Amino acid sequence: MSRDNNVRILASHAGARAIRQELSRRHFLSLAALAGASAALSACGSGGGGGESSAVEPGAGATGGPVEKSLSIYTWGDYDSPEVIDAFGKTGPKVTLDSYGSNEELISKLVAAKGTSGYDIVVPTGVYIPQLIENDIIVPFNKDLIPNMAKVDPQFLGQDWDPENEYSVCKCWGTTGFVYDTTVIKRDLVTWNDFIDAMQNEASGKTSLLDDPQGVAGLYFWANDIDWNTEDMADYDAYEAEAVEKWAPHIAGFDSYPATGAMQQNTFALMQNWNGDSRLGILEHKQPDRWKWVLPGPTTELWMDNWCIPTGAPHPEAAHAFIDYVLEPENSFLEMDYIGYNTGIQGIEEMAKERKVELPEMIFFTDEQLATMKNGAVNEAQDRRTEVYDKLKAAASA
Amino acid sequence: MSRPSGTNIALGVWTTLVFVFLFAPIIVIAIYSFNGGRLLTAWDGFSLEPFTAIVERPTVRHTVAVSLQTAVIAALLASALGTLAGMAMARFPGRWTGPFTLLLLLVSVTPEIVDGIALLPWFVTLGQDWSLLPFNNGYVRLVIGHSLFATAVVTYIVRARLVGLDASLEEASADLYARPVATFFKVTLPLVGPAVLAGGLLAFTLSLDNTVISSFINVSGTTSWPVYVLSSVRSGLKPEIAAVSTILLVFTLLVLGLVARVLKRSGSSVTDTMAVA
Amino acid sequence: MPRSASSRLPGFVLAVPAWVWLTVFFVVPFLQIAWFSLGEKPGMFGTHSNAVMSLDRYAEAFSPTFFTIFRATLWMSVTGTIACLLIALPAAYFMALKVPAHRRGLLVALVMVPYWTSFLIRTIGWKVILSSEGALAGFLTDVGLVSDPHALLNTRGAVLLGLIYNYLPLMILPLYVAFDRVDSALGEASKDLGAGRVRTFFQVTLPLARPGIIAGVILVFIPMMGDYVTPAVLGGAKGTMVGSLIASQFLTAQNWALGSAMAVVLILLTMLVVVLAIALLWGVGWLVGRRSRLVIGTKSIGTKKVATA
Repeated sequence: MSRDNNVRILASHAGARAIRQELSRRHFLSLAALAGASAALSACGSGGGGGESSAVEPGAGATGGPVEKSLSIYTWGDYDSPEVIDAFGKTGPKVTLDSYGSNEELISKLVAAKGTSGYDIVVPTGVYIPQLIENDIIVPFNKDLIPNMAKVDPQFLGQDWDPENEYSVCKCWGTTGFVYDTTVIKRDLVTWNDFIDAMQNEASGKTSLLDDPQGVAGLYFWANDIDWNTEDMADYDAYEAEAVEKWAPHIAGFDSYPATGAMQQNTFALMQNWNGDSRLGILEHKQPDRWKWVLPGPTTELWMDNWCIPTGAPHPEAAHAFIDYVLEPENSFLEMDYIGYNTGIQGIEEMAKERKVELPEMIFFTDEQLATMKNGAVNEAQDRRTEVYDKLKAAASA
Repeated sequence: MSRPSGTNIALGVWTTLVFVFLFAPIIVIAIYSFNGGRLLTAWDGFSLEPFTAIVERPTVRHTVAVSLQTAVIAALLASALGTLAGMAMARFPGRWTGPFTLLLLLVSVTPEIVDGIALLPWFVTLGQDWSLLPFNNGYVRLVIGHSLFATAVVTYIVRARLVGLDASLEEASADLYARPVATFFKVTLPLVGPAVLAGGLLAFTLSLDNTVISSFINVSGTTSWPVYVLSSVRSGLKPEIAAVSTILLVFTLLVLGLVARVLKRSGSSVTDTMAVA
Repeated sequence: MPRSASSRLPGFVLAVPAWVWLTVFFVVPFLQIAWFSLGEKPGMFGTHSNAVMSLDRYAEAFSPTFFTIFRATLWMSVTGTIACLLIALPAAYFMALKVPAHRRGLLVALVMVPYWTSFLIRTIGWKVILSSEGALAGFLTDVGLVSDPHALLNTRGAVLLGLIYNYLPLMILPLYVAFDRVDSALGEASKDLGAGRVRTFFQVTLPLARPGIIAGVILVFIPMMGDYVTPAVLGGAKGTMVGSLIASQFLTAQNWALGSAMAVVLILLTMLVVVLAIALLWGVGWLVGRRSRLVIGTKSIGTKKVATA
C-alpha cells in the first residue's frame, strides 16, 4: 500500500492554524465567563449538560443504555439511502429526516435555537466544525458507542478541524472539477487554466460556475496555484480584476447543481461542478459520451461532510447507534451507491469494483489526485470573497 | 348577459391564453412525472415508478401534509385579521390609518430572508426563555411566519373592495335600528365576500409556496414541502417530486369540478351567494 | 342603550387584532434587525455584535455594486409589474363581468391551482420549455425569430417571464375583486347616456376599479423587488437581483450586521418607490376623474374628448 497515513493530504494547514489561533483567543476570553458560570451551575446540581465544556458529558449523555424510540436527523436533502434509513428504523427508533440547503442555514438555525432544535444528528461540512465547536453547537461523541469508527480509512480521520475525531466522523467527501460538452469544445481540457480559456472562447455564454463565493474564488486560485485559503488581500485584488473584467461577460449561470439539472437539456457547455453531481448527470444523460469530466490541476478542492451530534440532542443513544450503523461497511456501501460520493470506509473502493458500480473513477481518486485536493477554510477573507462574488454577479448580469 | 361581440370574443381568447400561460409549466411537470429515470428532467422512458415511490416513502407524504395543514390555518388566520383590518380602514378611516398603512407597507417590503432571520431568535426567546410552550411547536411557528405578508394581502384586497363602494346600505341598516353586529353579518360581510375569498385563496397559496421563511423557522419533524424540494436539489431532483405535484393538481381539479357541479345543480354560486347585497 | 354605546366604540378596534399580531410577530423581530444593522461582525465565527455601535455598515451597504444591481432590479420589477397589469386587466375584466356568475368562483380558483406546488417545480417546468432542446426553441429557430436556440434561457427575457409568471395571480385576483363590484347597471346607464363601450370602460369601469389596480400593483411590485431565487434559476447570471446580495450576507458571509443594513436600505428605497408610484397613480386618477365628470355632465364636449382619452 502506498498510502501514508501520516501525511494528512486532505488537511489545510494554513487554514487550520488560523482557526486554532482564533479558537485559543476566544477560549481565553470565555474562560473567565465560564468560571463564573460553572460556580453558578454547581449550586443547582448537575447543571443539565448544556454542553459548555467538552469533557464533562461526552455524547450528550449517551452511556450505551437502551436506544430511544425516535431519531431526528437534520441533513442535506435526499442525502441518505432510503434502504439504510428503513433498515435502521426496523431496529427500533422511528427516523425523521429534515433537510437544509447550506451550512450557513444549518448554523444559523442551531445557533438561534440554543440547543432546542430537537435534532439528534447534523451533517456539516468539515471546515465549519471549528465554528460549531466554538459556539457549543455540537457535543463530543461517546466513542465507546461508535466502535465502527475503526473501520473508517485513517486517511479520512483526524482532519485538522477535529484531529481526534472527538466531535465528528466522515459521512462522505467529494471534490470540485468540471464537465464539458465535447460537441462544443473539441479540444482536450485538462487544467483550470484550460477551463478559464474555454469559458472565454468556445463556451462563452454557455458556462456555469458554482453558486458559491468560495468555489468561484477557488477557480482563480487553483488555476494560478495560489493557496485558496489565502488571506493576502493583494491576491483578492488580482482575482477581482480578472474575474470582473475578463470572466463576467462570458458567464451564463451560477449553479451549484448544473449537471443533474440544466445539463440534461444541454443548457450549458462548460460547468464547474462537484464530482457526484457530474457523475449522476452524465449517467442520466441521453448521450453520456457527449460529456467529459475533468479533475483539473494544478490543485482543487476537497470537502467532507461529517456526522455530528448537536447540543441538546433529545435522543443521544439512538444518535450514536445510527452513526455506528452507517459506518458498517455494508451500509456504507449502500450510502455510497445511492449518492455517488466516497464514504471513506476501508475497502469500499474494492467493494464498488466487485459490484460494478458505474463510473467509479468519479467517486474514487488516486493518491496522486488526492494530493492535489485541499480543504477550504472559514477565515477572515470571507467578507472579501463575498464582496468580489457580488461584484462579479453584478458585472455578469449587465 | 351581454351578447357575444367582437370585443367579448377577443377578451375570451385573451383569458384562455392567460390560462394556458398559467398552466404551461405545470403540464410539462405532469408529463415528466411519468419519467422512469432517476432525474426529473432527464427523460428515460414511461414509468409509474415515481408514483409508487411516494407510497413507499413516508417523508414526502409527511412534508405535503405539513404544508397543507399550515396553509389552511394560516389562510384562515390571515383572512380573519385582514378582513377586519381592511373593513376598518375603508369604513372608519382616521388618524390611525396613516401609521397602520405604513406598518402594512413595511410588512410587505421586508424581504423574506429578513423575516426568517428575525423571527427565529424571537421564537426561541418566547418559547425557551419565557416558557411560552406553543412557540416551540413547528406548526405554530410556520403559521405565524406565513401569516404576516398574507394578512397585509387580505387587508389590501378587502380595503380595495370597500373603498368608494356605497356605504349607504350599511347606513340604511343602522338607520333601521339593526344592531351593529347584525349589520356587520348581514350587510357588510356579504359585501366583502368575494374579496375575502380571493384574499384567503392568495393567503393559502402564498403559505403553500413559502420556502425562505419556512426553512429558517421550522423545527424537527415539520419540514414543509417547498423546503424539502429546495434541499433535494443537492442530490438531483427526482421524478417523484413531480409526481407529488401531479397528484396535487389532479386532486384539486377534481375537487373544483365537484364543487362546480354542486353549485350548478343548486343554481347558485359562491360569488352570487356572497355578493347578494 | 346598547346601540349608542357600541356605535360610539371607535371603528378602528376592528384593526386592533391585526395591529397587535403584526406588532408582536413583525415589528419586534424587525427592530432587532434594525438593531443588528448598527453593529458589526465580530471575528470570523460570530454573526453579529452590538459591542461597537456605528453607521459604518450603512456606508458599506451603499456600494456601487448595490446600486448597479438595485437599478437592474428596479427596471425588472417596474417592467414586470406593468406587464402583469396589461396581461391581467382584460382577463380579470372578462372573468368578473362577462363570464356567467356560477362559473366565476371556479375560474378564480383555477388561477391559483398552478401555484399549489413548489415554485422550484414550476420554474423547472419553464426551464424545460425554454431549454435549447425544447420544442419552443426549435419552433422559434425554424421560424427565424431567434438565431441560436440557446438564446431563450439565461437571458433578461427569461427573468421577466419568470417574474411575470410568478406574480400574475397577485394581480389578477385584486383586479377581479375590483371589477366584480362594478355594478353592471352603472355601465348600462353610461351606455344609455350615449357613451360607447370603450368610453364606458375607460371612464366608468376603470376609475371604479382603481383601488383594486393600486392593490394589485403594490402586491406584485413589492415581492418582485425582494425575489431572487426564481430570477436566478431562469436568468442564470443575468438574473441577479438585489435580494441575493442580502441573502449572501446572511447565508454565506455570515455577516448579519451588513445584511441587516442592506435590508433596511432596500426596504426604505422600495417604500420610497411605492409612495412615489401611488402619488403618481392618484394624480393621474384625479385628472382622469375630473375629466370624466366633465364628459358625463356635458355630452357634446365629451364626444370629442373620447378620441384623445
